Amino acid sequence: MERQTALLAARGRTDESDQLLSADDALADLQRSCGGAMPGALAVPELLDVVQQGRRIGLKLSREFSAFDGEDIVSGTVRVHPVDAAKGGGCELLIENWQRRPFPEVSSRELAKRMDEIDKACAEFSIRLDAEQRVQLFQSSAPEGADLETAMEAAPGSVWTDHVMLEGMDHRQPLHWRLLDGARCHVPGSAREWRARLLPLGSVNDAPRGFELLLIADVPFAMAPEMADPEAEQGHSQLMSGTLAPVLRQPIARIIANAETIRARLAGPLRAEYSEYAGNIAAAGQHLNALLDDLADLEVVEADDFSTASDSIDMGDAAERAAGILGVRARSKNIEFVLPVRENLPKANGEFRRVLQILINLIGNAIAYSPENSLVMIMPECDEEEGLVWLTVTDEGPGLDEDQAARVFNKFERLGRDNDGGSGLGLYISSRLAQAMGGSLEVTNPGEAGASFRLSLPIHSGE
Amino acid sequence: MDSAVTSPAETALKGELARADRALNGVAPVLEHALASDGGGLVNDLLVARVRGMVNDLARQLEAWRSIESHDTSRLPDKTPDRLTHLLITDTPILRHLHASAIEGVLTEKLDRQSGLDPVLSSLWQELIASEDPVVSETAMQALAAQSRFMQAQRRMQQPILDLPPEVLERALRIWVRATNVDEEPSVTAAMRAIKSDYDEAQSRLGLITRLVSSMREGRIAALELDHAGLALFTSGIASLTGETRERAVLACHNQQVVRLAVCLIAAGLDRSAIEQQVVLLDPANTTPRGLSELSPDIARALLQKSATKGQW
Repeated sequence: MERQTALLAARGRTDESDQLLSADDALADLQRSCGGAMPGALAVPELLDVVQQGRRIGLKLSREFSAFDGEDIVSGTVRVHPVDAAKGGGCELLIENWQRRPFPEVSSRELAKRMDEIDKACAEFSIRLDAEQRVQLFQSSAPEGADLETAMEAAPGSVWTDHVMLEGMDHRQPLHWRLLDGARCHVPGSAREWRARLLPLGSVNDAPRGFELLLIADVPFAMAPEMADPEAEQGHSQLMSGTLAPVLRQPIARIIANAETIRARLAGPLRAEYSEYAGNIAAAGQHLNALLDDLADLEVVEADDFSTASDSIDMGDAAERAAGILGVRARSKNIEFVLPVRENLPKANGEFRRVLQILINLIGNAIAYSPENSLVMIMPECDEEEGLVWLTVTDEGPGLDEDQAARVFNKFERLGRDNDGGSGLGLYISSRLAQAMGGSLEVTNPGEAGASFRLSLPIHSGE
Repeated sequence: MDSAVTSPAETALKGELARADRALNGVAPVLEHALASDGGGLVNDLLVARVRGMVNDLARQLEAWRSIESHDTSRLPDKTPDRLTHLLITDTPILRHLHASAIEGVLTEKLDRQSGLDPVLSSLWQELIASEDPVVSETAMQALAAQSRFMQAQRRMQQPILDLPPEVLERALRIWVRATNVDEEPSVTAAMRAIKSDYDEAQSRLGLITRLVSSMREGRIAALELDHAGLALFTSGIASLTGETRERAVLACHNQQVVRLAVCLIAAGLDRSAIEQQVVLLDPANTTPRGLSELSPDIARALLQKSATKGQW
């Protein structure tokens, strides 16, 4: 009873397509326990009704609502204020008199009845059996139902267990129906997992005169990917790399080029300050460009279907190339690379371009955080027993403490840096890339001075 | 004998006369109904008068909003726009709501006369105003003010437009647009925008009472004691505990709907003797329907649902 007074009000905000954009904790929790995401389509049915109505008639509403969050019944009064389209559309939600009370106890018999009803509603195969569990009538709404139907039609009067594979039951079938009720099974032609329910027809105590066999899948049939969630799909993988990046790149390139022209006084003499300003503009442009690269990469590595090619990679060679690319930047701080050559280093398995990208990120960071006149070590090693080959990049900078090491691979993590123009995405992307290639990226010496990052990849097995 | 040929004029006259006969024949039963109902029926002179008054008042208010928005004082809003009134009267949901309001007003007055129940401030309302929770207390005060305005408006046969439920208000606004001449459209649009921005269901009388009842949480059952709660909280309590609309909860309190009230109260979880008390309080001549004790709350709720989907009213 104490729980109910814990909270008096919760706020939330939806957009014009009833996506819950933001919400106080209590509402966000309810949204999640009703199967929704944050942000995501408003998943509390009664709230959705009120929000839709409010949006439709454009009036401020106040309604009682209740919802089941899996444990308790949550209820309260929701006030919905539609927002002008000019101010973004959608609705503001304010929930008052928030109240929780336990779900009323249901007798086990009633619960069983309810489960039967749910199973009947969800079953994709509904098959009528006679008293000997032989198939009489077949009905299916499953997209993969054709195989089973053909098989059953080809063998009229056969027992249903001949046509599906029951998990963990090698006995001669059919067993007593009570033993088969609830069994897990495989349906030919379907990759999904299925559960069988046998509901007796007629009296249960005497011999039933037949059964209703229901096959219920664990998960709904997967829609074709383009159907799944067009908006999320596009927002995720298309926006930056497909649309924005190419459009933005050209003007940014022009800004950089013109700023460089001014900085180098190519168009005539200029006061030193102005040249310096132009240098700043060019640098800012470079940062923007790098940010675009990062965001485009982020979308690629976060896409569900992201995979990498498997090349045979010489890690030493990759390290040398990365170091070569960053040589100018290193020399400007008078930093030297130490790159010991290891004979007979096994080749690594991964995508060369991606490995190079990771190394440039690691070495670039090492240069950025090293003091002037210092060394950056790039050490190739391997452990053939574990099947791993790795490169360790170590600098002489301040290093990372335990806490920082734990956070450093997080998305948008910048470890308190504010103004260096980094996106906080570099290490996150690198670590995702390493994982996609079956390897890993980690900090090997948290708490010590001089950060040390290790990129490990599996040893290439082929020729 | 009939002449063999009847002229077309004669046929037409004959038809019209038959229609006129039917109209005359209809007078007696309607009149009988109106006279016999001695003010107790679901439709009677008083209710008809109040509903008509409220419709006129709505039309007048809309016109007043329009003239404020258009700064047009030439057309004084005391003249009721006929076309708008006519369209409002022919809209069933609007009529249904106004009828329920009128019944609530009449019943509240009757309870005052009959049993000395305060039409505005019931003892439960006093308790809620004295609540330690400042939000509850504040809501109770606002609701009380709205209730007192409601009783006054009922006597004046008025219906404040911002006290309508949103569904009804929205219908009224749509009808308003339909009834509008092209040259008035900009001012009507502006007035509608102003009404929509001023309107807040949570601040309307019904919204406030619903929020008040909702804030009682598990204690809502206390609202089902009519002489303690008063009709306004009583009916909102029924609506909140049974899922019935408040309009239907009000109608259930009419003495021709005792069965509905009894079923509602069972669905809300009251026992037989408590139900009897409420039924008799509403009208001493009422008798509680038999067979109540055999009805479980779940079945009562199912009955109500069935009735709600079937019934038009």
